[in-house]
Formats: sequence, C-alpha cells, structure tokens
Amino acid sequence: MDEAIETPQKTFTCQLCGLSSPFTYYGQKPPNTRAIVLLEECFVTKDPFSPEKDKFLVLGSTCSLCSLCVCVSSDCSLFYTKRFCMQCVNKHLDQFPQQIQAELTKKQSSKAAVS
Amino acid sequence: MDSDRRRDSRSWDWDSPQCRSQLDEIFFRENDYIRAGSPEHKEFWAFFDRFQRFKIKREMSGSGFSGEEERGGKDKKTGTKDLGLPKEYDARYRINVSVFTRDVEERMGRSDQRSRQRSSGPGSQEISDFRLALLHFLDFSQKQSFGKLAKLRREQKNLPIFQYQDRILELVRLHPVVVVAGDTGCGKSTQVPQYLLSAGFSHIACTQPRRIACISLAKRVSFESLNQYGSKVGYQIRFETTRTTSTKLLFLTEGLLLRQIQQDESLDQYQVVIVDEVHERHLHCDFLLGVLRTLLKQRPNLRLILMSATINIKLFSEYFNSAPVLQVPGRLFPIQVIYQPIPPEEQASRSEKLDPRPYLRILQGIDQRYPPEERGDLLLFLSGVAEISTIQEACQIYATHTRRWIVLPLHSTLSLAQQDKVFDIAPPGVRKCIISTNIAETSVTIDGVRFVADSGKVKEMSFDPKAKMQRLQEFWISRASSEQRKGRAGRTGPGVCYRLYSESDYNAFAPYPVPEIHRVALDSLILQMKSMNLGDPLSFVFIDPPPSSSIQTAVTYLKQQGALDNRSELTSIGKLLAQLPVDVVIGKMLVLGSLFNLVEPMLTVAAALSVQSPFLRSSQQNPDCATARQPLHSNHGDPFTLLNTFNAWVEVKGERGGGSRKWCRRRGLEEQRLYEMVNLRRQFKELLKSHGLLESEETAPSGGDRAKRRERLTERRKLHQLKRDHEQQEGSKRKVLKLEEGQDGELSGSGSDTEERGRGRKDKKDRKEQDVDIQEVKFKLRHNVSELQEAVSVSQDLSSRQQALLKLLLCRGLYPQLALPDEHNTTRKDSDQVFHTRSKQGVVIHPTSVFSSDPEVLHVPEADSRDTGPDRKDSSKHQLLAFVTLLETNKPYLSNCVRVPALQALLLVSNSVDTNADCTRLVVDGWLELELKEPEEALRVLSTAISLRAEWERLLQAQLGQNQAGEASVQGLSRRNREKLSENLVRFLLYTEVVYSLQRLTALQTQNLYVGPQPESDSSYAETPDLSLLFPGADPKPDPIKGGLQVTSFFTYNCLTDSKDLYSECLRTFWSCPNCDLYMPLTPLERMHHEASCRPAGEKEQEEKESEGGRAGSSSMSALTRAYHCDVCNEDLTLTSTEILKHKRQHMYSAK
Repeated sequence: MDEAIETPQKTFTCQLCGLSSPFTYYGQKPPNTRAIVLLEECFVTKDPFSPEKDKFLVLGSTCSLCSLCVCVSSDCSLFYTKRFCMQCVNKHLDQFPQQIQAELTKKQSSKAAVS
Repeated sequence: MDSDRRRDSRSWDWDSPQCRSQLDEIFFRENDYIRAGSPEHKEFWAFFDRFQRFKIKREMSGSGFSGEEERGGKDKKTGTKDLGLPKEYDARYRINVSVFTRDVEERMGRSDQRSRQRSSGPGSQEISDFRLALLHFLDFSQKQSFGKLAKLRREQKNLPIFQYQDRILELVRLHPVVVVAGDTGCGKSTQVPQYLLSAGFSHIACTQPRRIACISLAKRVSFESLNQYGSKVGYQIRFETTRTTSTKLLFLTEGLLLRQIQQDESLDQYQVVIVDEVHERHLHCDFLLGVLRTLLKQRPNLRLILMSATINIKLFSEYFNSAPVLQVPGRLFPIQVIYQPIPPEEQASRSEKLDPRPYLRILQGIDQRYPPEERGDLLLFLSGVAEISTIQEACQIYATHTRRWIVLPLHSTLSLAQQDKVFDIAPPGVRKCIISTNIAETSVTIDGVRFVADSGKVKEMSFDPKAKMQRLQEFWISRASSEQRKGRAGRTGPGVCYRLYSESDYNAFAPYPVPEIHRVALDSLILQMKSMNLGDPLSFVFIDPPPSSSIQTAVTYLKQQGALDNRSELTSIGKLLAQLPVDVVIGKMLVLGSLFNLVEPMLTVAAALSVQSPFLRSSQQNPDCATARQPLHSNHGDPFTLLNTFNAWVEVKGERGGGSRKWCRRRGLEEQRLYEMVNLRRQFKELLKSHGLLESEETAPSGGDRAKRRERLTERRKLHQLKRDHEQQEGSKRKVLKLEEGQDGELSGSGSDTEERGRGRKDKKDRKEQDVDIQEVKFKLRHNVSELQEAVSVSQDLSSRQQALLKLLLCRGLYPQLALPDEHNTTRKDSDQVFHTRSKQGVVIHPTSVFSSDPEVLHVPEADSRDTGPDRKDSSKHQLLAFVTLLETNKPYLSNCVRVPALQALLLVSNSVDTNADCTRLVVDGWLELELKEPEEALRVLSTAISLRAEWERLLQAQLGQNQAGEASVQGLSRRNREKLSENLVRFLLYTEVVYSLQRLTALQTQNLYVGPQPESDSSYAETPDLSLLFPGADPKPDPIKGGLQVTSFFTYNCLTDSKDLYSECLRTFWSCPNCDLYMPLTPLERMHHEASCRPAGEKEQEEKESEGGRAGSSSMSALTRAYHCDVCNEDLTLTSTEILKHKRQHMYSAK
C-alpha cells in the first residue's frame, strides 16, 4: 500500500560521469538556508553526511553554455561566475584566467602520470 | 575615514573571544544556517584560523589574491565566443554560494556608530573579510560532502555485483525465489538490499546469522543509501532495535524472524525476505528456509532472495523448485597456498600440548622473506582456547626477542576489550600475529591480514543423544572452511596461506561442514515447530533433514519436561515455553518461579544461566580476583553465586554508576555479560507479564513527584545525547598498539585483567576523556536503577526457606539433569570427585563451579551416616546435583550445578517412583535406589510428597489456565493456596529427617527390577475395586509393564520384585488417623490416600471458611469429593474417597 503513495524519487544524473543520486530541490534558494543564496540553479539534496536536517548539498547544475547536466566534481565541471562543463571549459580554455589554466594542466599531467 | 578604519583595525583582534562573539551575533544567530555553539560553528572557526594563516602566507610570498602578473593576459586571443568572464582572477568567483547580508550590513551601520564610541566592533573591512572566509568555508564543506558522495558512488560502482544490478532486479520481479551466490567481497550483503530499495520495494527484511552483522550492515547500508541519520534502514536484534514506522529495510537475526513468523503466520509485514549467508547452515537458517518454503504457498507475492557463498548452490536452488541462480564473482586478491604439513615428530599426541615449532617457523619465515616495512598481519587458526594459549606463549617469546610481532589471542571467552584489540593497528615495522579460533573465519573480519596459517582443525559441538551430553571435539575442517580461512589473506591485497597439512589431507576433507541441524539437540526447534502448527516434525521438509532419531529424542525429552503430552501435542506449559526465547529448562524455571513468591531471584538466575558466564576464565588463577570474588560465592551452587554477583553489581551500579566497571575488573568479571543479564531479565519479566504469569506492578509509585520526573527526563535527554555523540565518533578511533601489548598479558600469566588495570593506570587521563562508558549510558537509558535495586533487594538476602524453595524450583526446571555423587568421594582428592548421571557414568565438576573448590558440602556428613554395608550409607543428608550442562571436552564436565536434598527432590520432581509393598524400597526413574529404614516413615514421606505434588500441579495448571481465562477473582484465593503450598514444600524439604541409603542400581538389578504384569485371575485382584477409589481423578490400574498398581502418573506401587505379596491383606495394619477419628486396618496405599484427603481439624475449618468466602473455594473442596453410586444401598452420594472407603467398609462389615 505504502509503495503506491510513495512519490517516485527524482534522480539527478551527471551526464559526464554518470554519478546519480536523488535530489530534493532544484533552484537557487534551498529551503531553510536563511541568508544563503546559490548563484546558479542547482540540483540540491539534504546533506546526507550531516546530522542536521537543514544542511544541504549541491549535486550539480546545468552548463551555462551547452546546458549539459553536470555534477560539481572537478572532473566534470567548473564554476567561475557561472557553471561550465569540462567539455566547454576545454573548448574555451583560453578565456579562463591563468590560475585555472595552470591548475587544469597540472591536474591533467598528474592524471596521465597515474595511468 | 582612512584613519578611522586604521584605528578600528588596531583595536580589532581576530583572536579575541569578544571580537569573535560579536561576529557570531551577526552571522551565526539562532535561525542562521550555522548556529553559534553548533559543531559546524566550531569547525568554522577552526577553518577560519587556517584560512587566515594561509592568507598571511600568500601575502608574505607576494602573490596576493588578485593575480597581478596575469594583467594583459591572453584575453586578446579570444577567438570564438566571449564568455564574459571577469578579467581579474579572484578565488571567490569560483564559489557558487553567496551570503545575503543586507540585514547584517544595516546592523553594522548601527553598530559602526556605537563602535566608534566604544572603539570596538567589526568595521566593514572586517565584515567583508569575514564574509569571504565564510564563503570559502561553505564551499569547502560542500566539496567535502560531495567528495564523500562521489567516493561512495565510485566504490559501489567498483563492486563486482554492480553490473548485475538490473539482472538481479529482473529475476526478483519474475521469480518468487532467487539465489544470489557470490564470494567474499562481491558486495552482495550491502548492495542487494539497496538495489531493492532503489527499485521501490519498501518492506524488506534481511536476515543475518549474527547480531553483530545486523548492526554493522544496517550502519553501512544506511550510510551508503544516504540515510545515515534517518531510519529508512534499521536493525532489530534481541534487545535493541532502530526500527521505526518509516523503516523500509530491516536487518535482523534469523531467530528473530522466526519469532515474528510465530506471531504473524503469513508474515504480511514484509514484501521481500532476504536470507543471507545461507551456506553457513545454522540451525535457525535451515529451519527458516523450511518455514519460508511453506509460507510461499500462502503468499505468492512474497519475494525470497537467498544469498550464499559459492558453496553447494544447487542444494538451495533445488530445494526451492529449481530457483534461478545468479553467480557473481568475488573480489579476492591472488593468494599463494603453501602446504607445510607438520612432521610426525612434531605432531602432538592426544594428551600432549601442541608443539609450537611448526607455528614458530611460519613467523620466522615471514621475517626472513618479507621486509618489515611491507605491512601485513598474520592470522593463525587453531582449534581451541588451550591450543591458542600454548602457541601464544611460544610466539610471545619469539616476539619479545625479535621485537617485530605483537601476539594477540582471539576467542569468544576473552573479555570484549581484549577481543577488540585485534582491530587496533601495529606500529610501523611490527606485525600483528592474531591467534584465533574459527571465530575469525566468518564472524570477525580483520582488515590488513596478509598471511594466514591454518592448522586445519576445528573444535565443534556435537550432541550425543544417548548420554544427553554435549561434546566438544576436535575435527579436521572441511574444504569449504579451508578456503574461507585462506580467503582471509586476500581481502586487502595479495596474500599467502600456509596450510599445516598436506594437499592430500586437503583433498580428503569433507566438502562442506556438517550442518548444525545434524549436530545439536533439537528440543527448542521441535517445540517451536509444534507451536507454529507445522505438523509432524518427522514429515517436515527440511533442506537437509536431521536424523529421525534426533527428532525422536527431542520429542521424548519434551515429553519428559512436560512440554508435550502423550499425543505429542503442546501442553499449556509447552505453549508458553515455545514463546520464550530460551532453553526449555530455563523457561520452565521461569514459569515455576512465577507461581511462588520467587519471581525476582528466578528472573535473575534464568537470565544468568542463559548468557555466557561473567566470570572470566583467565582471572581464575589471579589470587587478587579470587579473593575479591570470595564473598560472592555460595556453596549452594553456581546459580546462587551468579545471583549474588548480579545483586552486588546492581548495588554498585546504584551507588557508583560508572564505577561498576572497575568493580567488575577487580573481580575478573566481564561486565558486558551482566549488561546482557539485566536486559534479558527485563525481557523475561515482560514475557511473564504478557502471559499473565506476573501481576503488573502498580504504575510509577514516584509518579507524583514532579520534580523527580523532570530530573529523570533531563537526565534521559543528556544520556541520549551522549549515546548519539558516541555513535558518531565510533569507527574513527582505532588505536595504535604498543609493542608490549601482547607481552603484558603473557607475563602476568594470561591475566587480562591485571594487564588492563596496569594500562588503565598508565593512561587514565586520555581514557577518561574520550571514553564514555557507552554501556553504562545504554544501561541507564534502558533501566531505572532504583527500580532495579528494589527488585534485586527482594532476592538479596534469601532466607534459608526461600533458598530451599528456589533450589527445588531450579531442580524441577533442570530435571532430569541430575547427578549422584560417587559413594567413594569422601576418600578422594578434591580434584578427583566423581559423579554419575543416569546416562553417563564418571563425570566431573567443571573447575569453574563452586563445588570443584568446595566438594565437602556434597559429602554425607560422617557423624550423620551409618555404614550398613559395603558401598551403602544410611543418612538423612544425601544430596544430588542438578546441573545445567553436561559437556565433554577432554573429560565430561558438569557445569552450573546446584545441590538439593536427594529424597525430597526426587519424590517431588521425578517422573517415575516405584515402590515395593511397604514402600521402604523406592526406585526412581529406573536408576536410583533409595532404601528407607522405617516403613512408618517411608509411608509418611511418600504420602506427603504425593499430596504436595498434587496440590502443586493443581495450582500450576490453574496458573497456566488462568492467564487464558483471565479471571482475576481467583487470584486472592490462589495466592493463599500458593503460600500454603510453598510453606509445606519448604517444611518437607528442610524438616524431613528420614534415614535412607541412596545408590545406583546395578545392571543386574535393572534387568530384574519389576514383577511384571499379573494375570487377571489373581485372587487378590478382586480386592482392587477398593484401591481404584483411593485416588480421585487418576484411577489406579495395574501397570501393564511393571506390574503393581499405577497410582499416579509418576507413582507405581508395589511393582518391585522384592515385594512381599501383591495386594495382600496381611499388609493391612490397624492405624488411627491423627486428624479424624478413623481407626481401622489399612494397606499402606489406603493409608496414604486417607492422609492425602484428611486434613488436620484446624486446616479443615479454615478451608471451609474459605469456601464460604469465595466461589473458588468450592473448587478446592470439590477436588476432594466425587460422585459415587453405591450399589448396595443404591444411592448417589457425593463423598471424598475416604468417605467412600468408609462407606463401603460399612457394608463389608455388616455383610460379614
């Protein structure tokens, strides 16, 4: 009986890495966050690792350029005033500041070293 | 303005608590996302300090936050599309959160003015610095949590079972039963329940063979399903549950699910049942499978998933109508197997200690072959505790010498603190050598093991139905166990497994271990089957049916115990016993205790006998412990020692609370067992109440005291917080072991307690700080100490009368587990005392029992005894031992014994008492012979016992029947009856001073014991109509096998071969009744019966009064009278049997 009442969980899935997890809110103002505002529309869930029920966790959002749904992992996306998926970042790498470019090359080379 | 700010900054000190609290007031108010005083708030300030240090470092090194050097960067080269990114890099642009602070700024405006006067308070620069730090903190904690989530998902994805998710769900949708087979590490136990959850199933039960697994799996799965702080995933074990109405997935033990089915036959509360670890073939698991198999016919929608290692999968699939099997590869690293059979000269013979050389070679070999910086511990499997201490001793010497090993034993009789050490970490360059029983094969999983050494041996409990004895014997393990042990080396990396047997040995091993159902006594199982209406146990379809003889033995035993009647149906006591989650014997004691005023001590004793002994074996040799324990000892028996111990502990708890831990340590007690006892005790109490065997107490006598209640409420809240805090910390506190760790224990003669005490002194401080006694917290949450103290004080100072009665009840509960001291014990050393049970001769008392150190109390006192012949002593002080277990290890041992007066106990509890004509020779249960000197005394004793038993039985039946009828009005009267009965029983136990001899029957005597059936034409048989009237209710009839007359269900008169003359009139002697004016020639039997129904004048009057007072009184009277039709005067009369007898005699004499 209970199963019938239960609303199917909305699930967020990253279109790059496949990470998926249920989310409870989409937007810029998660409930009970008082003074906090998100600077982009995000898929948000309750932070499962915090005992407090009002703590939220941003799972991901859509790329401001290609609208791909991406998680906030640094492998999949980057936020710099706006959300960019990694594909778009690489496409427009030159427009990003030096720091970010350096960081990304460093990360890539360390990855290559591992594999 | 500029100067203003400088002045402000000068007075602004980030480190000052005042300044910080001002910021707290602005940003971290009661309603804010982060509240002052919360753990996160503390984290923030810690982060803030790090952030400030980082900023200062950056400023010093010259590379500020705004990257000056990138000015005139590459934005000129922009080709395609302008992203509109700011030209200057700022780390804050990477944060997708903002803190909306208009109200803060307004406030600041105000406080700015004030601050000017007070020249303190944050300026706008401080505010914005602070806000930046806060944003970074928020971003940081988001990254942290997301990192955990990503890691979790990555790990789930990497599990071998992950790719079978869809397949599993599809199979479950299509088939009622699915078998998932996968080896260690494939992830089935944690993942399959989650797959079901995410597919929308919502009433899932997952059984585990072990309680500890229920807890740890529930914890893990709730974490993985992101519901760590909710109750979607819960567990339920004997005393603890986290289940709520929102629980969708419940981990529980097999036994508990069976209990649930017992209550809810169709098990409607679950949609899916997962039975995990079915390959382990525990008794409950095998039975559960059988029950579920029948249940599936009733509930076609029920889904059943069996999970197993890849062992004998076909068996399970076929049992469930060829259920589909999904096989998942395990995830084990490669393990190199090295066979190192023990050379013949190092093989220990049966009596010798184990030769440690083969084991030492393994340690040496590891030291030679593997550099110490390559980590990896050794797990060594031995068969038993004695073997472990032998090898531990030898390894410790080697370890002390090389300083490269920490040797740790692991078995279930160690204190929990000791067991826990195997999870601690060895310092660099040192390996742990864990020497374990098969507990580490499945129950305990230790990470970091790289080497396994397997002796190939296991000690297993088996049941000998003939001797009614458990046996702990050493066996070769099975190939399945052998592989399981090997697998322990490959959990975290490639490993090595040394087998101390040859490959041909391995090949000769049995493929699987013997399932438990083939090894143990099935009493409880059969009882449960009966109460679940599963029909004839012999025709029940088990996955692997136990031998029918084993079922038969159990049925016979249950009949002996009175749980089943002659048609093998549950008796009323049997029905109750089936509900109690304890041994039949213990259950019986509880029921018996509830009848008399001995509930409190009986609850304690029953609980104590159902858990492992709290007395640690290791501290027995410790003289300090022995002295401290001395006051707890009772020479009446081990149950009394346990009772004293529990009572003393509760008292300490009431006085000193947490101090009980130390108190226990000093006495070599495992406090955990006492906690188990107190929980179990409460469960028993509730069960008795719910079955109407215990009046519910008046609720909350202290209820009126509001202040006290409030006090208790706040205390509870505090305790709950402590418990939560503890739960959160848990897991993250593995200690690093010290090199001396194993050594301590070794040097002090394996005294875990001295070691702990030593350690406790050393680092008392940090222990106190981080180590809340969580058991104490849980205890306080669960029990009201003062209530408990009250309950316990009732049983604290038992009078000798109460003690005698309690012993009798224990004895009746334990019957037929009785042992007779050997007649030559007085001439033997303390350690050589021998006893005999009906089915096993020459058993000894376990060294843990009080009687092993104090056997004199079991001897017949010399002054009292008269030697009347070889091996024969006349005395009134013969005693028997009632015991809880008979277990054979190297010798057959009795443990948990209580001593009882022999004659009285036997007459009151035994199933069969046979006598000769004048009742001077009694044979009990066909093995014990009692010879009484005086026929006069013999008759008196026997007749008292018979009437006591009849009354006892009547009250017991009333008590058991009453809980169904629920008649409260009877209670007052029956209480008075009970009091009278207990008084009479006590009088019988303590003041029967009859001289008799007590011995076992010889084999020859047993053969020619009975006269056998007598021909019907026997002239004396004509007299029997008289006798048939003697005992109302059970009419005496000739016993078809023994001969003689079966008078009651347990008493057969005149059936022993030495009987002089059957039913002979010459046995009639004139006798005058002390209570009434009867004076006539009576046979012993007639006299006995008259005595049973004729009460002293005073008593009679009282009884009559009672019968006037209450309705129920008539029932006690009517029990003595019966309808009688006299053929001579052709009248219907209501008379007592004696009256009938008198009446008949009247006619006889007049006819003559």
